[in-house]
Amino acid sequence: MKKQRAQSTILKILSLGTAMSLTCAVWADEFTQEDLQRWNQEFMAAVKTGDKLFHGGLGNANTVSCDQCHPNGANTHPETYPKFQQQLGKVVTIGEMINWCIQNPLEGKPLALDDPKMVALQAYIYWERRNVPLQPGKH
Amino acid sequence: MKHKPIILALSTALAGAMFSGPTLATESNRPPLGLPPVPIPADNPQTPEKIALGDKLYHDTRFSADGKVSCATCHAPEKAFTDNLPVSKGFQGLTGTRNAPTVINAAYMKSQFWDGREPDLEGQAKQPPINPVEGGLPNHEPILEIIRNDRDYRKQFRKVFGTSPEHITEDHVAKAIAAFERTVIAGNSPFDRYQYGGEENALTDSQKRGLALFRVKARCASCHTLEHTQALFTDSKFHNIGIGFKAIAGREPEIAEKFLRMKHQQADEKKALEFIDKAVLSDKEISELGRFVITEDFSDVGAFKTPTLRNVALTFPYMHDGSLQTLEDVVDFYNNGGRVNPDDPVTPFLSGGIKPLNLTEQEKADLVAFLESLTSPEIAKQAAQAKQAGIHQSASTAGGNTP
Amino acid sequence: MKKLNRRQFIQRSGAFVAAASLPVSLVEIAFGKDHPQNFTFGFISDSHITHIKGKEFVRNWDQGLKRAVAEANLMDPKPDFIVYGGDLAQLGKPEEIDHALDMLSGLRAPVKYVMGEHDYYVDLGAHWRKRLGPDHYSFDHKGVHFIVLNSILTYKDWMHKNWKTGMDRMKQMARLDNPNGSPFMVGEEQRRWMKKDLAGVAHDTPVVVLSHSPLQKIYKGWNFWTEDAEKIHALLKPYKKATVLYGHVHQIQYNQIDNISFHSVMATAWPWPYPASYAQGVSHIPKLTVPMNRADPFFERDATGWQFINLHSGKVDLNYVLWENNKNRVVRFDPDKGHPVDTEYQDPAKRIPPQEHY
Repeated sequence: MKKQRAQSTILKILSLGTAMSLTCAVWADEFTQEDLQRWNQEFMAAVKTGDKLFHGGLGNANTVSCDQCHPNGANTHPETYPKFQQQLGKVVTIGEMINWCIQNPLEGKPLALDDPKMVALQAYIYWERRNVPLQPGKH
Repeated sequence: MKHKPIILALSTALAGAMFSGPTLATESNRPPLGLPPVPIPADNPQTPEKIALGDKLYHDTRFSADGKVSCATCHAPEKAFTDNLPVSKGFQGLTGTRNAPTVINAAYMKSQFWDGREPDLEGQAKQPPINPVEGGLPNHEPILEIIRNDRDYRKQFRKVFGTSPEHITEDHVAKAIAAFERTVIAGNSPFDRYQYGGEENALTDSQKRGLALFRVKARCASCHTLEHTQALFTDSKFHNIGIGFKAIAGREPEIAEKFLRMKHQQADEKKALEFIDKAVLSDKEISELGRFVITEDFSDVGAFKTPTLRNVALTFPYMHDGSLQTLEDVVDFYNNGGRVNPDDPVTPFLSGGIKPLNLTEQEKADLVAFLESLTSPEIAKQAAQAKQAGIHQSASTAGGNTP
Repeated sequence: MKKLNRRQFIQRSGAFVAAASLPVSLVEIAFGKDHPQNFTFGFISDSHITHIKGKEFVRNWDQGLKRAVAEANLMDPKPDFIVYGGDLAQLGKPEEIDHALDMLSGLRAPVKYVMGEHDYYVDLGAHWRKRLGPDHYSFDHKGVHFIVLNSILTYKDWMHKNWKTGMDRMKQMARLDNPNGSPFMVGEEQRRWMKKDLAGVAHDTPVVVLSHSPLQKIYKGWNFWTEDAEKIHALLKPYKKATVLYGHVHQIQYNQIDNISFHSVMATAWPWPYPASYAQGVSHIPKLTVPMNRADPFFERDATGWQFINLHSGKVDLNYVLWENNKNRVVRFDPDKGHPVDTEYQDPAKRIPPQEHY
């Protein structure tokens, strides 16, 4: 008797759930064109911030900026990371190399790898390098 | 001469203990932790007999003008294969212009000598006996005479090279010495065990911080290279880091001109090279031109080869002129951007890799601690035993970095 | 392990190699001591001296210029003169121009100066002209006619926009990848001057034009560009032996357009990527060019340097003295091929991995 009642309760819950899912399509996990556009804009905002930082916005005392050696982010090769970085003597991700540049030619203070500024710089660098195939490890 | 037999016996015994024959007789041997296989040239394969012959020749002081100087005089096994002097003392105590590099791991170098003027160990071995301030001999003949008239040598050369006595040349001697030197290899330091052996506790916290500094802030890793699976700690390239330039500062054009005219006046290439070999050890100003004497490249003025840092704690004093006594002095020199004092002038020929570092006192200490972790256990043991046996101590080496 | 005997080893190291790094007297033997128009001049360019504050300048760029001066002084015999190819300063400040000229005063030969955009846009060249004289002129040397142009001018309405300060205008021009920049040009006034200047020059006289911008159209996005390049080429057309030497690009480039050979000179300050390495841009690097080695940023002098030029038979033999991981390069006019060639790497089979840029 108990079992039958339990089974019927389960059936009721299940059917209710199905009914709900049929009528409430917005609760399903589908993103829309609008979502895509909005999220893309969120990303491009980070690219814009990164662009400013890249072009003299890091505030380092000696005034050297990334774009002086890397106009439009050229010659940064983000598609080759992680790689063995000869200057560091180990395999690294691009953030560690960005910090190397900040500390060496820019004579500035390194950023935490999850610092929004670091993320923005990478967004800009990758954006300028879009559509180049991945080649991890390439020197 | 009372100490000589002890040195010979001790070093040979230790050599036997450390570099026991069979394991190093073939190329396919596993190298020490942190090092790649030793490069062996096709025309000079390793054999136990050749290595033993080389060891003997290396220690033979008869191969000098006064019978007192051998390879081991300036590259002593019990002093980490150097002599712990700023510049070496050769025949009749004559000094040259340069510090004796260690033989340990020299086999990995892409050239030999501070200015890379010899391509390999075989070439290097032939120069010191005939240099006026080292072995003092006029040519190699006196060496070959001794060998040809020595029954043991005659037997060994015949066994190793298949030569009859009258056909023994300095090339055979050099090959045997080089073969011995290719066994003078040491890795497996605390750094190696940490980095390549997975031993988290092989380095202290200070040394670990020093390793991180070595890679980034202290800017060591580009020339004193370390890699993902091995570390030679040298790029075998030539850089002007600012040492010794005071001797020629402001007069580089005149000195370079004087040198080039003397070099190009020599009868042919061979004579020009012989002129260079002697000039760099006897003329301080020409010596300070560094790699330029070989390449005549404007940008090689004052450039010298990057030495390895393995066992650096024991190979004091430092730099091509032996002008820096301790590792702290060395770290200060780099921290100041290639000068002894922070407000000294900087040579315009300075490598682009050298710049002021702004290290804190703690960072400097961590970096020195890391450098001390590059000593191989067997080399440390040998140095400690030699110290105990009361050998070698001289005023200039007292208080060095021997662990 | 390849076994080299000592002589081969030393030769590979660079010594005993004819012409490239030997003193000039030995070059004369190679090309004929008594040939007319046979002389050597040095060329230093793009030092970009940057003022931070007070007496503090960016050490990196100061070091580059100091090294070029020290090495140029090693030349024996001394060069006839030295050209400075433009961009003494980074932002055209008097402190920067003065500090650069101070360092150049150590040179042991007379210097001829070319204007760069980094010297010009803060005050439209006022301080530069005060220290150095006219920004375009010509001179004759041993039978060769040299023309120095100010080739970094631009459209007048950009130059005279209502900028808040001269420094605002300068900073816009200083940024290489500036989408709001304006292309370089020689301009009508100077072209008229050049035409008059050339009127008295015979057509078989070798002509060398010293310019900051390339006098070619290479990549507009980075102002590797001269808007009226074709008009300059037209003025040079009658001259059988015409060469353009230019700075600005901070990399090795060379080209031949009809009768004119083009050669870039290296910066002492820092290298620039080749435009083809910007994935979103379209550029036209001269096909002839064998690139310099890609720089190792650890070595602050890698892919920078200076050069000395041998004029022989009226054509240019350009010797790049490069630093750190870049070996010296020689680019020489080949009379059989009718264009410049790199004496070591021109054959595609001879290229080496560091010359790959991407």
